[in-house]
Amino acid sequence: MTKFTLILFIFYSLISFSQEKFTISGTITDGKTGETVVGAKIFIPSKSLGTVSNSYGFYSLTSPKGTFEIRFTASGFDTVIKKIELNQDLSINIEMPTKQLELNEVEVNARKGENVSSTKIGQIELEMNKVKTLPAFMGEVDIIKIIQLLPGVSSASEGGQGFYVRGGGPDQNLVLLDEAQVYNASHLFGFFSVFNADAVKSANLIKGGMPANYGGRMSSVLEVAMNEGNYKKYKLKGGLGLISSRLTFEGPIKIDKGSFILSARRTYIDILMKGLIPKSSPFSGSGYYFHDFNFKANYKLSKKDKIFLSGYYGKDQFTYANTRDDFSVKMPWGNAIAAIRWNHIFGPKLFMNVTGTFTDYLFKFVSDQDVFKFELKSGIRDYGGKVDFSYFPNTRHKIKWGAEYTFHTFIPTSVSASQEDVVFDTGLAQKLKSHESAVYILDEVDVNEYIRINAGLRYSMYHFVGPFTRFVNGAINGQDSSINYSKNEVIKFYNGLEPRISGRILLKDNSAIKAGYSYNYQYVHLTSLSAVSLPTDIWFPTTDIAKPQKGWQASVGYFKNFKDDRYETSVEVYYKKMDNLIEYQEGALPQDNVNDNTDNLLVFGEGWSYGAEFFIKKTVGKLTGWIGYTWSKTDRYFPDLQAEIFPAKYDRRHDLTLVAGYKLNERWTFGASFIYATGNTLTLPTSWYVHDQDILLNYGSRNSTRMADYHRLDISATLYDKPTKKHTDEKTGQVVESVKKVRSNWSFSIYNVYNRANPYFLYIDNDGDLLKGDFKITVKQVTLFPIIPSVTWNFEF
Amino acid sequence: MKNNLYLMLVLLLFSCEKEVTIDIPGHEEKIVIDGRIETGQPPFILISRSKDIYASTDLNSFLNGFISGAIVTVSDGTNTIQLDEICTDNLPPGTEEFAAQIFGVPAEEIANYHLCAYTSFNPIILGQVGKNYTLNVQFEGKTYTASTEIVQPTALDSVYWQAAQGLSDYGYSYAKLSDPENSNDSYMWEVKRIDKLPDGTDFDKSFTKTFNPVFNDEFFNGSTFDFWYENPMAFKEDNVEEQFQAYYKLGDTVVIKFSKMDNQTFEFFEKKYIQMSSGGSPFASPSNIPTNIIGGALGIWAGFSPSFDTLICKP
Repeated sequence: MTKFTLILFIFYSLISFSQEKFTISGTITDGKTGETVVGAKIFIPSKSLGTVSNSYGFYSLTSPKGTFEIRFTASGFDTVIKKIELNQDLSINIEMPTKQLELNEVEVNARKGENVSSTKIGQIELEMNKVKTLPAFMGEVDIIKIIQLLPGVSSASEGGQGFYVRGGGPDQNLVLLDEAQVYNASHLFGFFSVFNADAVKSANLIKGGMPANYGGRMSSVLEVAMNEGNYKKYKLKGGLGLISSRLTFEGPIKIDKGSFILSARRTYIDILMKGLIPKSSPFSGSGYYFHDFNFKANYKLSKKDKIFLSGYYGKDQFTYANTRDDFSVKMPWGNAIAAIRWNHIFGPKLFMNVTGTFTDYLFKFVSDQDVFKFELKSGIRDYGGKVDFSYFPNTRHKIKWGAEYTFHTFIPTSVSASQEDVVFDTGLAQKLKSHESAVYILDEVDVNEYIRINAGLRYSMYHFVGPFTRFVNGAINGQDSSINYSKNEVIKFYNGLEPRISGRILLKDNSAIKAGYSYNYQYVHLTSLSAVSLPTDIWFPTTDIAKPQKGWQASVGYFKNFKDDRYETSVEVYYKKMDNLIEYQEGALPQDNVNDNTDNLLVFGEGWSYGAEFFIKKTVGKLTGWIGYTWSKTDRYFPDLQAEIFPAKYDRRHDLTLVAGYKLNERWTFGASFIYATGNTLTLPTSWYVHDQDILLNYGSRNSTRMADYHRLDISATLYDKPTKKHTDEKTGQVVESVKKVRSNWSFSIYNVYNRANPYFLYIDNDGDLLKGDFKITVKQVTLFPIIPSVTWNFEF
Repeated sequence: MKNNLYLMLVLLLFSCEKEVTIDIPGHEEKIVIDGRIETGQPPFILISRSKDIYASTDLNSFLNGFISGAIVTVSDGTNTIQLDEICTDNLPPGTEEFAAQIFGVPAEEIANYHLCAYTSFNPIILGQVGKNYTLNVQFEGKTYTASTEIVQPTALDSVYWQAAQGLSDYGYSYAKLSDPENSNDSYMWEVKRIDKLPDGTDFDKSFTKTFNPVFNDEFFNGSTFDFWYENPMAFKEDNVEEQFQAYYKLGDTVVIKFSKMDNQTFEFFEKKYIQMSSGGSPFASPSNIPTNIIGGALGIWAGFSPSFDTLICKP
């Protein structure tokens, strides 16, 4: 703490000598749609001063007075140049004109150079529009799938939505949709994410050097921003795919003042399956579907105030029916998320954002057999609020501070069971309540022309409160006892300081060295009984027994751009240490949660991960794309599971990805992606034995078996219609060309082009009768997806 | 079970599977003890060895897995008895059928094998309710010990048969149970039909466990309720139509052996049947079946206190 204040003090004393200075500030918007532009570059060439617009399109730049040129550039837009006379604070709002692309003209990345110049280490931004032509599974472009193609990020399993960042668990990623937390970002066991491509504007992934304004998770932040909707005119767009379709409607609430967007999606596997399962079949009525809605509205109350309302609602429903055995299972789960935000510009140098959020995740499992009913429920509900301030005292400093608070209610598992009118005692539904809060301050400061430092400190607190019943397990055959805590009684309090620092030193040859260190606390845990991530995984809070996860990460990188920033390259190495990780104890069963606390079934351990990531990206030209390679090692140590350190299940020695896009002409764009990764680890039985003529299995050391390597190639092609149509002018009789109102494109994708049988999981199959001599134990590998072609028709008018 | 539903859905949608041979390191041969003692019966112990997952699974290697030459004693706290090793190539007359049941080898062939079990004919060591029995096995220089209790039995209030909906000749077996309060109770359900086949032999030769034969009173401590079990034998019979395989036929006479056991024994059987139903599924957390044997062996030394009921399958 004292070191930190000292650093701040030094930086403030560096605030430059008193020359008369003024501030230019404003908001950058898209001239065509009125949406704010994130990450636009604002640059004064004569003074070598520049800044970037924030996630609300706001910028603030302070400069000595004078008359000069100021340039506004952003990817996909023509550069705007303004000549200004700066002798007072100025407010300049810019509507960026859409770039008029000539045929075969290449797009120039306006944010080029940032790779080297920013202090961002382990951070990648993706704009949805840029990745829409990449190959997509079932034609559904998915931001999480694309993130999994970046170095340091790996997918849980084939099609899996859970992602692992630098050896951290899938619960260690803070996923934010317009600043509201998303707990389960997947549909259909993870083959689709909850992020509808038509509703998503951009995503920003931070995998190391997390700034102090983020917290509550150990490994990464994935910030997804929704489109705001068109401020100028109404638009309808959508896509028809083989198993799902989507539709988006957007437009102004009041032109240039407010806008809205509404997006909906639904899969129709259930309808397709109805065709495949005859009515007479006992399985008739089985099926699966999901639907989801995204909503966002914005309104500019005044020049200085803007409010945003965003929402998401999604539901998955899986039904299994077996009429022969009079047995049925319904499994609905889904998220409901809402966020309300208020931006206020206090002046050219001070910007504020206030957010209120609501998140609800619920999973249910209802089974009916004969007269026996069983229901299992698990969920989480959060109410939260935060306030963030950005202060731009001068061009050398960017200061942010803020506070955050969340009230959590967890239902780890609640079970009810009944048989006709007899209700079984399944214990009280346990609701666990807690308050999580944090305050932070950070400063990004240019020490000199070459050195920039982003230093911050976060202080987080956590109160685990009643009502709560703690079950204390008695000795075998003895009576169990319990302790009751009353409402709002603080059962346990945790707190911690989380220092964060990252810095960049510019070197002469368009390169930079960057380093970052962050310390994080995490007060929620995801407990998983299975080897594959499923919606049955239970979110569990920190309690008196389950301590908060905590850990630190240090990373160093070398960044260099070549050929006038056409090629961006980087090498990063990292080391990460994690404490208080959780796993279920051996042989725990879901029903063990009943009349007991989930944390009584958990064991605690620690983990390490280290690795090196190599990244080459080509951002300009007909051919664009990237190559990423990661070498890493991730281990776990759980003394209650086994005495030896064992590899994490997603320990991957090698991970290579190649992503390419090729724009042939105005009408055809091609994409390809290739992945190669070391196989995941798993625990398989090493021995079999016989008890009472039954074959039983005995498992060996944790995760000691490795599946075959994973590799896959996907390709895609997008055919756009002609942007103009020709018609004959009735008066002049001349053939004229006009821009089409309705635009459409065909998107073709082939998943797993060479039909590689990648392992999804392995299992032991025993078949036959031991005593008849035809008994056999075999290891079977299940592969999910063979070659899958898909086609989607997208339209917009 | 719910996890298997995922599996079904996923498999239904796209997947395919194939047999693979991958390196599964870490096999370590262990001794497996399958021991039991129940009220009024002598202790009975089989000892075998665990095998590598890729080891041959034919009948001979299975039978060669049983070992002989161990020194086995059982103590009730007062008396310690060394058990006799009885081998199939030297059986007391009249026990061939019983031994054939144990090892699953036809009675007429049993003398060709050297398969050994450990038991005692000393009446002092017959199982008694309320006693604690300690097992001691010495083999190849190692000692394995375990202890189990024959707990107080709880008899069923009543048993009855009910025709299944829409059927008149087939139905499940039902029972009413009053679970004692103030104790953790664990139960096992086994059945044997005692009708005779037309040739005069027994319908069922021994008791058969149902698919999920054990349960405890975690959900219903102290309550009185009815429950049902399917017929586990008919699934193996080729002459029963598939749709009737879970039922008892009208007129069957069934002996129900309803046993109680201590906690460790219950845990072994509970996890055993869970493993057998989820067998190696990746959706279940990998778990080894717990044992009450100290010294590094697998298996169980189990004490049972059964009570018996006869059910005549009539409405």
